[in-house]
Amino acid sequence: MDKISVRFLPDNLIANVEHGTSLLLAAASVGLELKSNCGGDGTCGRCLVKVQEGRPNVKSEGSISLKAKQSGLVLACQAAAVENLVVDIPQESRLDEHQVLLEEKDILVEKDDFLAAGYSLNPLCRKIKLTLSEPSLTENISDFSRLQSAIRNEIDCHDVRIGLSMLKGLAEVLRTGDWRVTVTVAQLNGCAEIINVESGHTDKPAYGLAVDIGTTTVAAYLLDLESGVTLCQKGTYNKQSTYGDDVITRMIHASVPKGLRELHTAIILTINQLIVELLSQSDISSDDIHLAMVAGNTTMTHLFLELTPRYIRLEPYIPLASFVPLVKAEELGLKINPAAQVACFPSVASYVGGDIVSGALITNMAKREEITLLIDIGTNGEMVLGNEDWLISVSCSAGPAFEGGGITFGMRAMKGAIEHVSIDPETFEVEVTTIGNVKATGICGSGLIDCLAKFHRAGIIDRAGKLQADINTSRMRQGDDGWEFVLVWSDEADSADIVVTENDIKNLMRAKGAVYAGIRSMLKAVQLEEEMIDKVLIAGGFGNYINIRDAVAIGLFPDLPPEKYTFIGNSSVKGARLALLSQEAYSEAQELGKKITYLELSNGNDFMDEFVSALFLPHTDMSLFPSLAANND
Amino acid sequence: MAFNAVKDKYRSKVGEVVLGATKEQGGTRDYTITIGGEAALPFLHFEGEIPNRPVVAMEIWDVAPTDWNDCFKPFYADVWNDPVAWAKKCVDEYGAELIVLHLKGADPDVKDATPEECAKVVKDVLAAVGCPLVVTGCGKPEKDNLVLPLVAEAAAGENLLLGVAEQENYKSLTAACMVHKHNIIAQSPIDINICKQLNILITEMNLPANRIVIDPTIAALGYGVEYGYSIMERARNGALQGDTMLGMPMIGNVGYEVWRTKEANASSDDFPGWGEQENRGILWEATTAMALLQAGMNVVVMRHPKASNLIKQNIEELMVKTSFDE
Repeated sequence: MDKISVRFLPDNLIANVEHGTSLLLAAASVGLELKSNCGGDGTCGRCLVKVQEGRPNVKSEGSISLKAKQSGLVLACQAAAVENLVVDIPQESRLDEHQVLLEEKDILVEKDDFLAAGYSLNPLCRKIKLTLSEPSLTENISDFSRLQSAIRNEIDCHDVRIGLSMLKGLAEVLRTGDWRVTVTVAQLNGCAEIINVESGHTDKPAYGLAVDIGTTTVAAYLLDLESGVTLCQKGTYNKQSTYGDDVITRMIHASVPKGLRELHTAIILTINQLIVELLSQSDISSDDIHLAMVAGNTTMTHLFLELTPRYIRLEPYIPLASFVPLVKAEELGLKINPAAQVACFPSVASYVGGDIVSGALITNMAKREEITLLIDIGTNGEMVLGNEDWLISVSCSAGPAFEGGGITFGMRAMKGAIEHVSIDPETFEVEVTTIGNVKATGICGSGLIDCLAKFHRAGIIDRAGKLQADINTSRMRQGDDGWEFVLVWSDEADSADIVVTENDIKNLMRAKGAVYAGIRSMLKAVQLEEEMIDKVLIAGGFGNYINIRDAVAIGLFPDLPPEKYTFIGNSSVKGARLALLSQEAYSEAQELGKKITYLELSNGNDFMDEFVSALFLPHTDMSLFPSLAANND
Repeated sequence: MAFNAVKDKYRSKVGEVVLGATKEQGGTRDYTITIGGEAALPFLHFEGEIPNRPVVAMEIWDVAPTDWNDCFKPFYADVWNDPVAWAKKCVDEYGAELIVLHLKGADPDVKDATPEECAKVVKDVLAAVGCPLVVTGCGKPEKDNLVLPLVAEAAAGENLLLGVAEQENYKSLTAACMVHKHNIIAQSPIDINICKQLNILITEMNLPANRIVIDPTIAALGYGVEYGYSIMERARNGALQGDTMLGMPMIGNVGYEVWRTKEANASSDDFPGWGEQENRGILWEATTAMALLQAGMNVVVMRHPKASNLIKQNIEELMVKTSFDE
């Protein structure tokens, strides 16, 4: 059947797609990303588009508001292209690329990270200048053996390998440079791989790529492996978002025909796009990148390598591999040197992945006497607790609430997101601060934490999180799904009235309860009290903006003195960077993968019990939050 | 060698709640009942004082309970169309010291009695008997929120025990109990955390802890009585260790739970091996109550007069100190 053309406005991009392709996927095919929390199920109601010309085949209305319907909008995921169309994508429906918040400000501390972690510069990949002895009738070993033995003299590794394509050109390269060559060697897992051989001696260093694949966002650093300097860093959304917001939806998509391929392609595309951006800011070419180190949660690592994550989702939750082999960039389609090696951080378990191992590596918690708690709140709440003698980890399904998922006006931390709220307890009047100081479009994680804390303080919700319908303000009203509180009226917002519903609060309570219950379960397993934790490190993009006092007030984090808390930002990409720059750090990461004990929370009733007692503000056991009790008096 | 009992020491004790008010106290009851106050686990007199006996309360309805087993007819059929007569019979003939009046008729699907009608029934029962009274709504929150505040107002001064408050619906009943000075039943679904959370929510509305009675939700023998048992056990241990938000006395609907089991109701013709039905039901009710008393229940709400008598006797026996307790 002929392809159908869909022209998207205002970008004027034309997608040529198969008959019956949804407009959501058609848009994705030309790089236009729409908000789609549900991954095309028609349930989140966010991928609204207006069809200007032609008629799509609308499978179902999906969950679309009456107002949107009346203004002629349809859900892109439910509308299939069956004839040529012209489709307008309103600004509200777009995932705005340029609004991803990266921690640019953090880049300067990298040197300290390095020293703090106690590693010296000893990169996994480097260039070696060699001058080989010329062969003769008496000294007649092969070209490759000649190169091998020269390399062996330079590095502490006997097993020197080369790929066939590299070998094919070797004879000429050696002779062109008159037996003077520069070889790029990556030394991993006890074996040295020749990535590149150049004629003559060049001073250009080897470059590496450190990547953190998050369920929501992907971050990459471009490194000079010789000096250890980060040349530039970039972040973007994971293009897999088109197929759903959370890992579970992605895993489900991976089990439909072609689904795994699509998810794999999406993440490779995402990374390639980052590579293009990184290269555009430097004067190096893609072939100069000889090694990539990837850290991601277990599912992301699977999808990156196109391994099926199917059994991660099903009890007893078994990943295909925790330690994955090295692969060549060309096998994955990564646009760096085709022979470049790509290494992934090992995972601990199905829901404690390489990103956490990477975090544990950079924090150096496994080498300290003091007890550290590392909390990474992304779509899941993953945590590691321990010190030099022991490490235990859990993953609790906090859900995507703190990333804005499952919340009526939830959004990621981007421009227009409410990140701070204050409420007058007498009048219930609200003041909000948004990221970028623009009109509010939604509420991000830190704003949601603020809401819970401030709502409770003002008496808008009780300790169980129930909206108090009897308070005297027009902001409290009956909505489509029961009571709701209007945070921002539509005339002051860049949207309809921004409300927080009873259901939103329930989801938030569950999310915060799950994180805290995870911490309690870990402490219980090792029989420690909260006050024995010396240090709490908060990782994750979301962690940059949390107000610790509020987070303790709602019972998300333990009631410890604020000086014990440190935000470490994206620890995953920093750990990947460290592993690229240090042989010792890379080996340590492999060790950590084996060393961290995984505590399965779905085994037994303890977690459930902890969870229900945490579904209260701040907690059923107030004695766990002494500083709050003191404030109340 | 003399035997020395190992004794546990507890930091705290269960709170006391007084039900009913005499003339001097502003009500019209002949006497009041104090529940709770134990400073040890149930009946371990040697470890701490158990100042108040557990109480057997008898359950009556404001409408005829047409779905009750036929074996109740000889006892109640003559009175169950009239809650006043029913209450009197329980007190006069069956020796009830506490009555639970269940306003089943308020249920829109039963009789849809108006709040005013319900309040009148409560007043009439109060006028007819001198024992303290527990009043529970029909169980439909929207209706109960209309009925119970009116009942509370009509019976102001009588220091009733009113129920039930749940985590999703506690405010209007708590407010009514505050204003008209009654006690409240705080019901949680076999969950120690929600039990405690609800108590915190209620006390945060300024109803004192000594006006709250916990209904932990229990089940009949064979239907999960052990779940209720272990929740109660945890509540009691919490109370004795000083957790005031778990330190309230407890009430349980034993009759209601038991008399909906197959074992209590199935006829002897259908299950000849199970023995005679009525006796079986009585023993089922009594055994369930007995188990729950051992877990620390302070008020067992019962239906069958014979089961009630068995339990009263059981309580008498358990409240006698032995030489061991000296």
